[in-house]
Amino acid sequence: MTVRKFRPPNRLAAMIKDRGGMLAKDAIAAAEAGVETLRESSMAALDEALADIEARFGKDAPDRASQSFEDLYLLASRIIDVSAFVMDAGIDKAAMSLCGLADDCAEAGGWRWEAVDVHIKALKLLRAMGAQLPVEQRDAMLQGLYQVSHYRPDEG
Amino acid sequence: MPDALLPSARINLERATVLVLDDNGPSLDILSQVVSGFGVKQLLRAETVADAQVLVRTKTFDLIISDVQMPVTDGIEFIEWLRREGGETNRYIPVILVTGHTRASQIRKLRDAGSNYVVAKPITPKVLLERIFWVAREERMFIECDTYIGPDRRFKHEGPPPGTDGRRKDDLPAEVGEAQTPNMSDDEIANLMRPAKVQI
Repeated sequence: MTVRKFRPPNRLAAMIKDRGGMLAKDAIAAAEAGVETLRESSMAALDEALADIEARFGKDAPDRASQSFEDLYLLASRIIDVSAFVMDAGIDKAAMSLCGLADDCAEAGGWRWEAVDVHIKALKLLRAMGAQLPVEQRDAMLQGLYQVSHYRPDEG
Repeated sequence: MPDALLPSARINLERATVLVLDDNGPSLDILSQVVSGFGVKQLLRAETVADAQVLVRTKTFDLIISDVQMPVTDGIEFIEWLRREGGETNRYIPVILVTGHTRASQIRKLRDAGSNYVVAKPITPKVLLERIFWVAREERMFIECDTYIGPDRRFKHEGPPPGTDGRRKDDLPAEVGEAQTPNMSDDEIANLMRPAKVQI
């Protein structure tokens, strides 16, 4: 097998050093201010995804067994996407655990409804009062979720 | 690992043309706001890989930031396409993939997609700017072969994987470089450096 090893030109490297520009701390502050304007719409998107998960995969969903693993994975991913605003509540981590669970169920070819139910309950609780929970209690809850989903946070 | 980005470091992304790709509208909005905040003036957005491919064929980019999990064609397939068929002006540009969760079946694919970095969602401006700074400063070689096109995946220079002889001509055994004798004392080092008259 022929392997070509080379160093292509990196235009970004040249322009990032151009005169002018801004300090990194100012760039981060400007980006944070821009993102802050999206808080309301992001929270609406998060609540919509959570409501959709409950409606389609919750205990009372009439045909949850016929839903696809992929759809649950996608909805949980959508929560992660916009969860920067609620990272102090642990919602991002619970949603990652739910993604891991959906992936695990897809690989096994069968649902583990108790695990799905406990994730939905946890997500709702964290959304309602996750930031107010004592850190140890919140961490213990997340560890419990990781155990039932087989999600390993260190693997991303 | 590359140097940390200091708050006092100066960056200029005003001339950079950046493509951001994410199928989830709210997520694309966040990504776009972050990148705009960094001073990027030429920001193009795409919600599907098909749209991104059209843009890549018609414009020259300096950086691509793409989501991984997308329906129909995902970010991994997009980067593989970019590296092979993205045209000479775009196929070697820096790429940062962003993902909230990586499926067990996709871990190897993600590593082999050809991106420069993978950043975990939810995105924070500090982490994303640091990765942009890294890709702008890194001097990683590019590898192009039948099975992979992208930045050298082995960039920590720790030798070949344990228990193997390595595949590369310049792979050295793990033992090379390990100290064979005790460290020299300060005096011994000073003696080596001491100026001495020499007869020429």
